[in-house]
Amino acid sequence: MIKLESVTKVYKGEVLALRDASCDIQKGEFVFLVGQSGSGKSTFLRLLNKEEEPDSGKIHIAGKEIGSLSRWRVPHMRRQIGSIFQDFKLLPNKTVSQNVAFALEVIGRPKYVIEDQVPAILDLVGLQEKTNRFPHELSGGEQQRVSIARAFVNRPLILLADEPTGNLDPQTSVEIMRLLERINETGTTVVMATHDRGIVDTMRRRVIELNSGEIVRDQARGVYE
Amino acid sequence: MVMNFDYLIKETARNLRRNLTLTLASVLTVAVSLSLLGVALLLQKGVSNATDRWEDGVEFIIWIQPDISENQRGLIETDLENSTGIETYRYVDQEEALREFNEDFFPENPEITQLVTVDVIPPSYRVIPAQLNAEAIEIIAASFETKPGVRKVVRATDEISKIETATDVIRWVVLGAGIILLGTGLLLILNTIRMAMFARRREIEVMKLVGATNWFILIPFMLEGTFQGLVGASLGTASVYGANRAFEEWLSSDSVLNILQSFAVTSGDVWGIGLLLIGIGGLVGSIGSAIAAYRFLDV
Repeated sequence: MIKLESVTKVYKGEVLALRDASCDIQKGEFVFLVGQSGSGKSTFLRLLNKEEEPDSGKIHIAGKEIGSLSRWRVPHMRRQIGSIFQDFKLLPNKTVSQNVAFALEVIGRPKYVIEDQVPAILDLVGLQEKTNRFPHELSGGEQQRVSIARAFVNRPLILLADEPTGNLDPQTSVEIMRLLERINETGTTVVMATHDRGIVDTMRRRVIELNSGEIVRDQARGVYE
Repeated sequence: MVMNFDYLIKETARNLRRNLTLTLASVLTVAVSLSLLGVALLLQKGVSNATDRWEDGVEFIIWIQPDISENQRGLIETDLENSTGIETYRYVDQEEALREFNEDFFPENPEITQLVTVDVIPPSYRVIPAQLNAEAIEIIAASFETKPGVRKVVRATDEISKIETATDVIRWVVLGAGIILLGTGLLLILNTIRMAMFARRREIEVMKLVGATNWFILIPFMLEGTFQGLVGASLGTASVYGANRAFEEWLSSDSVLNILQSFAVTSGDVWGIGLLLIGIGGLVGSIGSAIAAYRFLDV
């Protein structure tokens, strides 16, 4: 599903973000990316989304080499990838259901599909009671659920999560992880960058550790350290 | 590409509302610049109407008395034929002169043309000299002035240069001001769109994230810019039309035939200029917003 071949990324010619990184992630896997701040976790995720271009090496997503993808094909590739973030990136002037519907509207989905899909996904993330609330009226955990709903409403093959629990308390983090597990169980490949030792150690999934841009550990059923 | 029409209208309208002051500034700048361009074009059209008679190298016109005898006409024509300084000439009879008078000068003012009948319009010879030497032309022209049956000899240089020197300066100043303002309008539209995109940067980020196509993101902004250009152009066209109407009113209220009356422009010409202005306005709007979109979207 995701394959990196000797990928190197250097920012502005000097900051080495990723060095000669290779790995192969199968469909339906749940992978933790760990490492200190600045070790290259976010770059790893941004490369998969084609928000950044590698300086060398190749990246395959769902069997396609994305380096050779023309610019106008990139949006279509991104529709197969959902993304969530530490800061949620919700639109403050839209309600919960409008935020989720927006993701479908802007890729040209017809109205009846939107009206059908949005309540279903809000049910799934447990926000059926809060569809007309605005983001600022929600707790952090609830906001992250909205962002997960938005990322998943289009049923992507891959879900990229950049420290999704970074702003949440431990109890809420556990709930969000349960949700991500459920999404993973539907066959969606999840790649999650995290600093949360507790989560990694409890879940015992594949762990890829980065240190100064190099993959120093790739361990099935791994722990944080 | 699938695009919801409601979505487009909704987004464009919302952007326009959100940035009302800047939008107004762009629209008004485009309107003023295009009215100046329009006035310059009207002036050009008016000048070309007023100097129609002088096309194709005609350098002087011999107006003859309407009641000239055949004999006198024969003498003038013999002289025209025999003069080595004359390349060719054309006789314009009273019918044609009347038609020219009506069409070129007073298409909008039938009340004036009704006063003029075929027998009061003088026929004329339009003379194209062999060489464009001012002194040589003057000698030939002067030689016809005293011939019997000749009413008046009018030199192109007299009339055209009078009209053209008077209008050229005005025209260039107006045109220059119009073009500078149009450039300002383009920059204002560019900036308005940039502001609109900046105001919506979160939405744009999310749109890119979930895989909206670049066109889908760009089109509402480009529509916004084009809309501003078009509204500005419509206002500009309206004011050009108004200015021309006011000019016509003024001409028809003036009972004295003066040289300005030959500047009257047909309404067809005004609409032509209006269409041109609207085209320019739309173009300026879409170019401005396209530049903004391209530079600031980072697609």
